[in-house]
Amino acid sequence: MVGKINFYLLEYTLKYILRYKYKNLFIAIVMSLLVALLASTLFISNAMKDEYNAILDNYPDIIITNQKAMRDSTIDESVIDTVLAIKGVSRVVARVWGEYYFANADKKFTLVGIAQFQEYSNPTLNDISHISDTSMLISSGVYEVLKSSYYVDYFNFIKADGTLKKLNLDRNFITSNTLENSSLIVMSEENVKDIFDYKESEATDLSVSVANENEVAFIAAKINTILPNTKVTVKDDLRVKYENIYNLRSGFFLTIFIISFFTFFIIIYDKVSGLNSEQKREIGILKAIGWRVGDVLNSKLYEGLIISLFSYVLGVLLAFIYVYVLDAPLLKKIFLNNYDLMNDFVIHFSVDYETLALLFFLSVPIYIAATIIPSWRVATLEADEVMR
Amino acid sequence: MLFNKLTLLFFLSLTLFAYPQISQDIKDKKIYPMGEKIYKSKCNNIDVSNYKTYEELNTKITDEMLCGSLKEKHKQALSLYLWDVKRVDAKTYEKLTVTKKDKCQVCGMHMHHYPTWVSRINYPEGETYNFDGMKCMFKFYFNNQKGITDILVQDYYSLKTINAREAFFVVGSDVYGPMGHELIPFKDKKSATSFSLEHKGKTIYSFDEITEYMVRSLGR
Repeated sequence: MVGKINFYLLEYTLKYILRYKYKNLFIAIVMSLLVALLASTLFISNAMKDEYNAILDNYPDIIITNQKAMRDSTIDESVIDTVLAIKGVSRVVARVWGEYYFANADKKFTLVGIAQFQEYSNPTLNDISHISDTSMLISSGVYEVLKSSYYVDYFNFIKADGTLKKLNLDRNFITSNTLENSSLIVMSEENVKDIFDYKESEATDLSVSVANENEVAFIAAKINTILPNTKVTVKDDLRVKYENIYNLRSGFFLTIFIISFFTFFIIIYDKVSGLNSEQKREIGILKAIGWRVGDVLNSKLYEGLIISLFSYVLGVLLAFIYVYVLDAPLLKKIFLNNYDLMNDFVIHFSVDYETLALLFFLSVPIYIAATIIPSWRVATLEADEVMR
Repeated sequence: MLFNKLTLLFFLSLTLFAYPQISQDIKDKKIYPMGEKIYKSKCNNIDVSNYKTYEELNTKITDEMLCGSLKEKHKQALSLYLWDVKRVDAKTYEKLTVTKKDKCQVCGMHMHHYPTWVSRINYPEGETYNFDGMKCMFKFYFNNQKGITDILVQDYYSLKTINAREAFFVVGSDVYGPMGHELIPFKDKKSATSFSLEHKGKTIYSFDEITEYMVRSLGR
């Protein structure tokens, strides 16, 4: 049966679909919108997940933060040597960074200081070999914000004591356009210390690299014992934290999900619960002129397939255009924090076969079943019984 | 008085260029990598064998500006790197890597999930065998000892490739390899001892002390 298409039946089915033009068109539109909505939300959320994982891959294995009164505080650089003495630690870097609030545009910038000849685990920082004391490197996202406030050549930072610090904008941008880099400003370590009023030996935190990943948990525990006042964060903890933030946001999507599925199932339920008398009569007539049950069911199979496949393909196409061509105008904002300047991130194109398969099996077979089952109920009855 | 001051000044000037007292850990993990980065980005080829002492090298770098003007910290890192690493030029092995297809020669397990445990035996004709742990490697070694050129393992702490014949192995620790109990390799006795204390290791063996019976009994 499969493989052989009965073209007469197909022609009949097409005519049947066109006879109920508006009803079928309505179903197709609703279904494709549904598929499009679900596909695009899943595409975005998967892209975000990949993005977070990519960020985490560049993260140091362990981060040591000093705490005062249970609040994050600065750490003294002399601690580095203590940590370096631990076996299995391959590199310790004192990171000098922080967030700067630019009140004029209500945005936060991430200021990162780099020291000359220092090896960093973040490749973006590693590629920047040297930066002069009077200038800074900015990302294109920061550039747009500064430009809107008419800072094109330089920017004035307000230091802790209220005085201004003027730094020139470097002509080169930080090119890698990822979530983490969109609010990034890179300058020399001394300048960051100056802006945030750090002392000479102060650093924001220590990043620790461990060569053998089997040792990470043990070394973290050891650091905690040696430096009891610090907070030791392992990469896996961060992964969990990111996932929690992410899950909170995907709660919104879960709501959309549930609502749209209920809508879909109401349509399905309406179809399954029975055919109207006109459709019943038609099946009765078909049987009376000699159609077998199989023929009726085949024609219904074609009907379901045509409508659901059409809507599925249209929906997926819409989702692709919406997410990858239009860059998901509204939905992306739900995930991203406008305040953090993170709305700059570009969704990287990738075909997510799992999502596509999931949506296919949730829509196409269910719709086909919903068209075949009620017709089958009618078709198994005698023709005169149906038409009576 | 003046004489005293002068002698003091003299000794001070000596210590300025003298070889600094810094622990090996800090040198290995902080100073040498920085020195290497400076050397690669700033210097033209410096032939270290031209200098007889560390002081001479350090003074030359300062006086002749061999690498442009550097901060004191960077200058020290550069000289230490040149003196300790570049001059000695110890033999290094390339990192042991495996592809997704590679299987352990002894147990047939795929190895790419456990890159930190990979070990290797080389033969002169370019024949190379990879193993998913030290246990499998030793099983192979005891049966095919003839003509082996290199036996390579990865130091547990640094994951640097080292010669197994010079390595120390810890047995009975609470760290398990992909095939259960393992002989865990270290580049020196000091790190082996430290690991053994921290991870409840039972014994530390050098390469020659390991017997076939011992390796086989680990599998039980």
